[in-house]
Amino acid sequence: MLITLSHINKIFTTGEVTVHALDDLNVEIKQGEFVAIIGQSGSGKTTLLDIVGCLSQPTSGDYWLNGAHINKLPDSELTTIRNRQIGFIFQTFHLLPRKTALENVQLPLMYAGATSRQQRDRAVEVLTMVGLQDRMNHHSNQLSGGQQQRVAIARALANRPALLLADEPTGNLDSQSGNEILIIFEELHRQGQTIVMITHDPPIAQRANRRITLLDGRVVTDEFTEPRAQPVLQKI
Amino acid sequence: MLGAIFRDSLKNLSSNLLRSGLTMLGVIIGVASVIAMMAIVEGGQVWLVNSIERLGTNLLFVWKKRLTVEEKRMFAGRNLQLRYDDALAIRERFPDLKVAPIIDIDGQVKAGERDYSGSITATSPEFSDIRNFHTATGRFLQATDINTWNRSVVLGKTIAEVLYGSQSAIGQQLKVGEHRFHVIGVMEPKGEVYGQDYDEMVFIPVTTALRFFKGSDKIRSMIIHVPDRDKMEEVTHKLHQFLIQRHDGVDDIRVRNQGDFLGAIDRTIWTFRIVLGGIAIVALLVGGIGIMNIMLVTVTERTREIGLRKAIGAKRQDILLQFLIESTTISVIGGCFGVVLGIFAAYGFGNLVAQSMPGGGDWGAVIQPTAIAIAFMFAVAVGIGFGLFPAIKASRLDPAEALRYQ
Repeated sequence: MLITLSHINKIFTTGEVTVHALDDLNVEIKQGEFVAIIGQSGSGKTTLLDIVGCLSQPTSGDYWLNGAHINKLPDSELTTIRNRQIGFIFQTFHLLPRKTALENVQLPLMYAGATSRQQRDRAVEVLTMVGLQDRMNHHSNQLSGGQQQRVAIARALANRPALLLADEPTGNLDSQSGNEILIIFEELHRQGQTIVMITHDPPIAQRANRRITLLDGRVVTDEFTEPRAQPVLQKI
Repeated sequence: MLGAIFRDSLKNLSSNLLRSGLTMLGVIIGVASVIAMMAIVEGGQVWLVNSIERLGTNLLFVWKKRLTVEEKRMFAGRNLQLRYDDALAIRERFPDLKVAPIIDIDGQVKAGERDYSGSITATSPEFSDIRNFHTATGRFLQATDINTWNRSVVLGKTIAEVLYGSQSAIGQQLKVGEHRFHVIGVMEPKGEVYGQDYDEMVFIPVTTALRFFKGSDKIRSMIIHVPDRDKMEEVTHKLHQFLIQRHDGVDDIRVRNQGDFLGAIDRTIWTFRIVLGGIAIVALLVGGIGIMNIMLVTVTERTREIGLRKAIGAKRQDILLQFLIESTTISVIGGCFGVVLGIFAAYGFGNLVAQSMPGGGDWGAVIQPTAIAIAFMFAVAVGIGFGLFPAIKASRLDPAEALRYQ
């Protein structure tokens, strides 16, 4: 099991108001799965992403990622796990605007302690993988939304993470660019990359091979299907 | 990685030049004022020390202490004055020393229609060597003048010009008070030294003064030249003891050497150094507050960036270092500009003093490398010190919250 979430609770208290964002949630995800987590806003999917992404700790329950008992680890080790085990992809890309595509992709490699030579070589490799070999020295604000998200994917892949964690990756993109991103995900999935994608959009969730639906912090459905081939996919 | 962080911080600073420039201005002004203040104080010290050393070197000054009414009553009947005999006794007891007794007489010098009123200095031939002050024409006082109470007079350059214009003064007859004197020499120009215009001095033999102008053998003071500089303290002490003994055991005289004066100046200069340096350092601290302020704004503006960096693997110390390097970069660059501005300001002040202050012509700023080093290092310390709080704040941001900060 790559991911084991066992009896996870997350409770937020703001003044008098207490929100039970995750309520005794249990999920297991195997190596190589492409999982879509679906839910309306307020269903707890962002909270789940933060916990799975080691950005925050659950109030109670146990979380294992790739054999590490995450909720027992101190902050400094979580940083290392985020760096090595998890590749983040965000709805708003989160690229650093004054840096080139190449420099953005080098960032996680730098924090992993790679030499500048190693950083550059690996960054070129992953940017080529997402089809941006011609745009490497463009600043991120000179790139289209779809290109920016592809840079973000390259950055997420730089340290060969066990888990690719995407938060509404197509939310800020037109349907064609969004589709290109999903095609990359499908290709990565085919190569054995584990992907967890959060979305509120059912057609996009259809592209995954497993869909977990959340409601009020609980899993309401968990279905496995072989993704049906998209017409666009066949074209490419 | 440090190189990359440093390049990032330069990029960030240059992306908002106006803001970075204004922040640096605080540091620039602070560093510049530290350097300028120190240079001016240092220049002042050099000026004062030079002024004192121009009076002659290796000198001892002896004068009478002011006694209280009580002391006067207590020591009544004892030998309490500083007298010409004391000078002669010192010469006999310490043959190595050059002793010049000094008496000041207020009087009038009159040559025909022209006259001069002021202080007349009665002294001995040694004065010329001790003060390193020689005649331009004619001769200074000699032993024969002293031994025979000669009524000869030596004029300062200005006095000679006032009395005789372009005519030669040597051999001329003139009246000092009611007594007829003849001019034997005119001094070289020397100018003002420590508040006294040497060109306006008039010299007569000390014995002549005692005989014709004073009813007693009291003298005002003595200037003594000590040949061996290393023995100043020892001679000062011995001389003092010798005079106390001559004065029936009463310590009614002061013996001071130049080291004492220089020491006093040193203490004064240190006071200035601390006060002015303190003001300048306050300016630098205000600059530091500017850095802290702007770094706090920067941290808030870049909350999402910090969240992203933490999400992809930046450790706390990575973020801390990033912002610390940025604030230090501001202070280092500001410090460099400040050094340049400070040097200009110091020399500018030096010129200003030279033009506006009488006798301040040679008070220039003295910039010492240590002053520059201190100012610069203090600026860097300010950058680190005031950057620390914003950097710690940045490093402690919660990544999940920071990523979604609007």
